[in-house]
Amino acid sequence: MPFYRNLSIRQKQIAWAWAFLAVPVLFYVIIRFYPTGNAIMISFQNWNLLGDRTWAGLENYQKLVADPVFWKVFKNTFLYLIIGTPISLVLSFIIAYQLDKVRFMHGTLRMLYFLPFMTSAVAMAWVWRWFYQPVPTGLFNNLLAQVGISQIEFLNSTSYALPSVLAPAVWAGLGFQIIIFMAGLRAIPVSYYEAARIDGVGWWTVLTQITIPLLRPTIVFIVVFSSIGFLRIFDHVYNMTTNNPGGPLNSTKPLVLMIYGTAFDDFDMGYAAAQTVVLFLILLIVSLIQLRLLRSE
Amino acid sequence: MAQLVLRNLVKRYGATEVLHGINLDVADGEFVVFVGPSGCGKSTTLRMIAGLEEVSDGVIEIGGREVNHLEPKERDIAMVFQNYAIYPHMSVKKNIAFGLRSSKMSKPDKDKRIQEVAAILGMTDLLERKPNQLSGGQRQRVAIGRAMVRDPAVFLFDEPLSNLDAQLRTQMRLEIKKLHQRVGNTIVFVTHDQVEAMTMADRIVIMKDGHIQQVGTPDEVYHKPANTFVARFIGAPSMNMLDAELSEGRVIMPEGLSFPMGPTAEARSGRITLGVRPDDLVPRETDALIQGKVTVREPLGAETLIYVDTPGGEIVAKADGRNPPSVGEQVRLGADPDNLHVFDRETGMVVR
Repeated sequence: MPFYRNLSIRQKQIAWAWAFLAVPVLFYVIIRFYPTGNAIMISFQNWNLLGDRTWAGLENYQKLVADPVFWKVFKNTFLYLIIGTPISLVLSFIIAYQLDKVRFMHGTLRMLYFLPFMTSAVAMAWVWRWFYQPVPTGLFNNLLAQVGISQIEFLNSTSYALPSVLAPAVWAGLGFQIIIFMAGLRAIPVSYYEAARIDGVGWWTVLTQITIPLLRPTIVFIVVFSSIGFLRIFDHVYNMTTNNPGGPLNSTKPLVLMIYGTAFDDFDMGYAAAQTVVLFLILLIVSLIQLRLLRSE
Repeated sequence: MAQLVLRNLVKRYGATEVLHGINLDVADGEFVVFVGPSGCGKSTTLRMIAGLEEVSDGVIEIGGREVNHLEPKERDIAMVFQNYAIYPHMSVKKNIAFGLRSSKMSKPDKDKRIQEVAAILGMTDLLERKPNQLSGGQRQRVAIGRAMVRDPAVFLFDEPLSNLDAQLRTQMRLEIKKLHQRVGNTIVFVTHDQVEAMTMADRIVIMKDGHIQQVGTPDEVYHKPANTFVARFIGAPSMNMLDAELSEGRVIMPEGLSFPMGPTAEARSGRITLGVRPDDLVPRETDALIQGKVTVREPLGAETLIYVDTPGGEIVAKADGRNPPSVGEQVRLGADPDNLHVFDRETGMVVR
């Protein structure tokens, strides 16, 4: 190969780099970028999956803005985000912080917390759905009944349904966040804490002045990661409300579920694509804002 | 009043005893350096003084007060860590102020104190910087500053210079010594570097395997080592150790060479190890201790170190820098009998 031999070292390195990158690049172009572009295209068209695509211009977006269900869903999606992210962040930090100090059965405990993350969301959603049933099936209502509190219609109430669906979603993501937090905690040098002990500062000062500031990169990662997760919530909601997906009265319906319904129940591909583009923009904007806000100076 | 007293200090981790009863009196204002190879227990001792490690047995007194069960903050000590332990997200000023966080001083007093310390350490211009904008030596100074603001009875240094390059280490060594002369607090300094120990200490504590080998001024440990370990550990290059016999005031080398030990020699006989520092061992024709062939020369300018292959192993000697023996040459080496160290070959303890 005289051609290859005549390349400079730098050019050879580039040739090899592209040789290795070719497969993933091809994958991304075909599996990711082409459909993304196609979806954006479809969002400006009308299509029922079988017939011809017809040009619709901004019609789908105009319909979306005027659709009261969309605004309800939009609000729900952000409720999942602004309730779910802080709760899961605080919970996973507290658990990781305490678990980090435990030596006894440390591995077992960590495994127990990680287990939900590995469990199928569908199975988990159905188990929780039973927990929420009225007496005599539901665990929670049985407990309430035993202490004499009246029944709560967890999944049939427009005010309780969303938090009830959110709870298992938070629980499912906790294991992963705990592992990330523990890795972050382990990375803080012990001498920082020893120096603080010698300086005689209390645990609260150590926590707020040393541990949390030094965990900043970990916190940024978890916030962005879990926010994206909550903005894309779907399987927990769908499986816990199968009789009436997103119900009661759309009170639990997130954007992804609306997209699914529009696309595969109503076969309105153009409208579904427009919703997808909106979801994409929301994810992009939320992530960028978080990165900007949380980035250290 | 800030003497530090260690009485029969013992440290155990489970069944393993790592410190076997350390006894030491450190006077007020004294600069004591603990030195020894890694795993000798010097850092453990320091951490016990600091209160970061539990005392298994024995007593630690600071300023006449037993501190065994006191929290680190109640012991009136400050510590400088090997990795400095300065917080990367805080400015220099905040880092130094962290040492005063639990103090009951008023804010203006604290600010004044921080300014004083910064002035002593020459860091007034750096107070607003973050640690990642500082050089290694400056970070070191921040760590010292954080310890200094509290004006503790005892300063503890845990190998603080080992992360610095050679030149900076020499410079910081000097700065710490000057600082000690200026502020006069008691200092306990841990290092594995015998040069640091020699240059900085009022007294050196040489440790090995959880035992103190010798306590003494730099002069004493260098010129009157208590045993072969101290003799080898202090001084570079290491002291040469030669097998010999002592017989009625004369040292008899295995090859038959012999020479008088001098008037101070005890009239005792036996198998000994003869210690002689390379500095004291020079080529000479008469009264030679040992002879051999030069294998390597290390010119140092004013003098040249010569490595000589002898029947008793390789030894190091010093030759004149201008006209050293050449490689391959046979040399006879001798030393002034006053500069010879005689150790019992069985116990390693000094005989005279």
